Amino acid sequence: MKRITVSKTMQVILCLLILFLIVFPFAWLLVSTFKLQKDIIKWPPTFWPKHWTFKNYSAVFERIPLAKYILNTVIFAGFVSLFSSFFDSVAGYAFARLDFKGKNVIFNIVLLTMLVPFQIVMIPLYIELNLMGILNTFVGLILPRITSAYGIFFMRSFFTGLPKELQEAARIDGMGEFGIFAKIMLPLCKPAFITFFIFCLTSNWNDLIYPLMMTSSTAMRTLPAGLAIFVGEGVRETGPALAGALISMLPLLILYCAAQKYFVEGIAVSGMKG
Amino acid sequence: MIAAKSSFLKKAFDKDRVGYLFILPSCLIILVFSILPLLASFIIGLTDLDIFLATPNFVGLSNFQRSFADARVWNAFANTFSYVLLTVPIQLIIALVLAYWLYRPTWFNKMCRSVFYAPVLCSFTAIGIMFNLLLNSTVGYIPYVISLFTGRVDALLSDVRYAMPIIVFISIWKSFGKTMIILVAGISDIPATLYEASAIDGANRTRQFFHITLPNLLPTINFTLLTSLIGAFQVFDVVYVTTGGGPLNSTETMVQYIYYRGFSMPYELGYASSMAVELFFVIAVLVLAFKCILERKIKNIY
Repeated sequence: MKRITVSKTMQVILCLLILFLIVFPFAWLLVSTFKLQKDIIKWPPTFWPKHWTFKNYSAVFERIPLAKYILNTVIFAGFVSLFSSFFDSVAGYAFARLDFKGKNVIFNIVLLTMLVPFQIVMIPLYIELNLMGILNTFVGLILPRITSAYGIFFMRSFFTGLPKELQEAARIDGMGEFGIFAKIMLPLCKPAFITFFIFCLTSNWNDLIYPLMMTSSTAMRTLPAGLAIFVGEGVRETGPALAGALISMLPLLILYCAAQKYFVEGIAVSGMKG
Repeated sequence: MIAAKSSFLKKAFDKDRVGYLFILPSCLIILVFSILPLLASFIIGLTDLDIFLATPNFVGLSNFQRSFADARVWNAFANTFSYVLLTVPIQLIIALVLAYWLYRPTWFNKMCRSVFYAPVLCSFTAIGIMFNLLLNSTVGYIPYVISLFTGRVDALLSDVRYAMPIIVFISIWKSFGKTMIILVAGISDIPATLYEASAIDGANRTRQFFHITLPNLLPTINFTLLTSLIGAFQVFDVVYVTTGGGPLNSTETMVQYIYYRGFSMPYELGYASSMAVELFFVIAVLVLAFKCILERKIKNIY
């Protein structure tokens, strides 16, 4: 009995240590955005600022069109995630639960495309979008991303876990395949759908190199791309960069606080449980 | 009777083809925006195309021959492998242990899980800005804290010895939460009756972990291992926003070198593409071999 208490205490201590390791950089970032430049770059560094200031926030909005970046990121990441969640669940369902010739071959090819680093296809993709005339537009940004091999893989795993009886019962009742999908499977996969939507939103919200390459005007930049350019210009003012970094993180963190349960529950929920 | 039979046949016929309609939109997009550019990349690898896209010449396999003699290619492959071999297992073990500790929905566990997931939601651009300053050898808080113990200020990101381990740390710091959440979901799915039965048989928590949790979790582990392996081979962002490949190319990964070759002077897109093709084959062979081994192991257990 005592041994269990000791190991339990160890667990809690280790968890608290990791908590500190995660929270400290964020806390440091938050506090530093209120520091004067000379407080940020002094040695030895101190955690608390001597003088509190909001200047870093107003400065970053003056230097770069941050509001425009936020809007662009919402449009890009939002539409990509919406389309991708839908098309991936449709395809994932077919790969999990429908039989057709060449299914495994096609699925393996889809899986193989997951292995392709974006950096390998980015040059031909850039040329392709240029030929289509949709470079530096929202259509060009969103279209290549409205389906993802990872999403198909994810949704397929989810549908494989659903009991076969549901589908068979509906078939015996005379339901068509599209009806089964829309009326039975899609409602069941709502948690997985939302979970993948958020996964997808996160990765596109944070993506750097793709929007960086496919947009050329300041008016089309997303948050990470715009911020990276701002920092990359060799700006010596660290305060506004820190404020920008914090602002770019906030929307997702707030959304996370509101819709957190989908991150955890979404994956495990299966049809028979509900 | 006959009517019922023919409608059954019709349905069966429909059922065998309707799958194609389901996968059509996704496959079309993947074909046009992934497979086509990939194939184009193979062709570009055989040319001396540069960024100005003017009249490329067909140069055969000479780009590939050149890459085998390029010491920086071997260096980049070695760095990529050490990154993968460090990041993937460490991250999986940390995530697995934490998932096992924290899967029960108590207040403390839920709070830990929520916080551990937070860095997953931040861009490497933002995290890079944050850690670059925290680790900076002239103003950073971390070198300062270390100097309180060692008495001297070490350059961290600009030191050949520490740069790669720090990059590994930052990427585990950012993404172990994602693996953990997926594993927590997997553990919660294991029927509680299995644990109850083994508790009656007198198994303790450690034995339960190895005899119940681990075998039942294998499909989930398989999934996370595969995706994190693929992701690790494609590592780019974390290096790009911290060291940029330095010092002395000690953190330059394959994708880094490809990017450098293709998008800085003299913009050798052809040569960069040939290396991209090589990387693709290395990843494909390793991941498929890995997948076969894992699936065979799972079959043996059941």
